[in-house]
Amino acid sequence: MIRLSRNNLRIPKFQRPVFVVGAGMTDFRKRYPEKNTCQLCMEAIRMAVEENDLKVSPEEYRRSVNWCVYSQFADHFGDQLLAAAKVHDYLGFDPLGNIEVKTGGATGGSAVLAAAQAIASGYASCVPVVGWERMDEVSTKVGNSYIASAACKDFESELGWMYASYYALMAQRYQYENNVPRETLAKIACKNHEYARFSPYSQNPGHYTVEDILKNDIVSDPLSFLECCVMSVGAAVLLLADEETAYRLTDHPVQLTAICGGTHTLRTADRRHMPILLLPNETEETYADYFQGRRYEWPGFSSFLATRMAAYLAFNMAGIKDPVEDLDLLETHDAFTISDIQTYEDLGLRPYGRGREFIDSGDAYYEGRLPTNMSGGLIGTMHAVGATGIFQLGELFWQLNGWWDKFHADPARWARYGKQKPSDFRSLQVPGARRGCAVSHAGTGSHVTVAVMERT
Amino acid sequence: MSVELNGSVATIVSEEPLIIQNPKNWYHAHSYGGWGRFFKGLRQGKLLATRCTNSACAEKRLWLPPRCECPDCWHPTEWVEAPTIGEVFTHSTVKYPGAPFRASTPCPLISVAIEGVCTKLMSYLKEGTPRMGLPIRAVFNRERPTNTILDLAWVPR
Ligand SMILES: [Zn+2]
Repeated sequence: MIRLSRNNLRIPKFQRPVFVVGAGMTDFRKRYPEKNTCQLCMEAIRMAVEENDLKVSPEEYRRSVNWCVYSQFADHFGDQLLAAAKVHDYLGFDPLGNIEVKTGGATGGSAVLAAAQAIASGYASCVPVVGWERMDEVSTKVGNSYIASAACKDFESELGWMYASYYALMAQRYQYENNVPRETLAKIACKNHEYARFSPYSQNPGHYTVEDILKNDIVSDPLSFLECCVMSVGAAVLLLADEETAYRLTDHPVQLTAICGGTHTLRTADRRHMPILLLPNETEETYADYFQGRRYEWPGFSSFLATRMAAYLAFNMAGIKDPVEDLDLLETHDAFTISDIQTYEDLGLRPYGRGREFIDSGDAYYEGRLPTNMSGGLIGTMHAVGATGIFQLGELFWQLNGWWDKFHADPARWARYGKQKPSDFRSLQVPGARRGCAVSHAGTGSHVTVAVMERT
Repeated sequence: MSVELNGSVATIVSEEPLIIQNPKNWYHAHSYGGWGRFFKGLRQGKLLATRCTNSACAEKRLWLPPRCECPDCWHPTEWVEAPTIGEVFTHSTVKYPGAPFRASTPCPLISVAIEGVCTKLMSYLKEGTPRMGLPIRAVFNRERPTNTILDLAWVPR
């Protein structure tokens, strides 16, 4: 049994507000040999500084910076230790201090958290967060084993060398406990591949039916290829600043009102039970009948304590009472369809055991109450791991400023990446969106950050 | 210029953009440290787990994978033989594993629930079809041990 004290559950505070002033990214590809890692990062930061209506020149921006944060998941993918030092030099930031952050799939979220901490504490006033992953130097099979090296190599990695399998074990258990039809999982894949069709940055767009997803070849049952995230090459950048710097740089800052982290055991095997950590929109009553009396068998294999912990802290920090009501947009870490359903529950979008209702009700769609993964997510658009958490917040930044069309709808932007804008293109700008949330997630829930961004 | 260099010349994968092969041929001498006893136990047909030795500690159940220290109170643990029967807690048959996978595919991976153990050890089913709650017993690869977690598998009982 895990027992949490009041101090363990202290709600984090920023000593001063933190703002996002720009976002940039490359497009994302399975293979990207035309550009090396330094060039990809340069392309992403140039977009962030040059295309987000900043009131300063790139040179003036560079002169405003006083700390940098870098985000890369796996040194062995890029085959270059201290790659951050190369990127830092290439972007012209020497001799400013920097730090490189690593927390698996949640590296991007954790990097933004580290940058926010620097600004909130007064250590820095202007911090670019630069993330990337280069996953194309090895074959997909070797790539999967590299990723599975982020499972426990002593007791788990040998069993499949495949993260999809570790999620599939959870999927089977979740379906057994909660009776979720296969079709519900498939709907998530359809949704995110579909939204990826309207992103010039996306790697794996496609118009699929539920039947297509279910007929697709199985990686590890029940998960099919189309229900798993892509393996990508690309970079993403988010520019953070304190209030004074933010308004000097832009007229359109978005406030990062909360970003908080949680963890749980690397091995799913080692997750012991505890009472459910309740969110502001839940009470003991919510779970009176949960699990038919087995309610203390939480989180088991069906829930992510790390996500619940991060959401508990972030929602309390940002004053969110009911996430479906209080948020206008959500970006989840949809590494696999199953993890998305689990995450809906961990975020309190529905009580535990009822996550399917979030997708079945239509809430998760563009037209729904809380449009989720308008970016196309990890299944449709990208998972260049170190860039992912930054990419999610970048897409939210554009949405909250009403700039989604500017960054997705211009045919010239599609042409930039050698693509043609689809003839049935539609805008996914959520009108009047004011507050968004993003979840960055590692392992089978070993590290998670939950961030809340708000238009001022 | 012409220089005699040791080792083979890098293979060119592509001329434009220029891509070369960076070869890797070496091993890591990986120590299991205090957990080695678990893997040696598999050779002898034993499933070794650990238990906290602190009588004041609330966690009385076994740890499997083993831990040399208790995460709740940091006291040392003691080695004990765990039951070699259990149930399938969850399962997934992997069809497309990652590159170094050594068992045959498709391979039914399982998580095992064992009475008195506080964890759900990941393993695989060597015979039969997996299903929730399937009663199983441990089997050990003692002939030519790999000295990895693959030396432990399960069959229906
Ligand atoms: Zn103990």
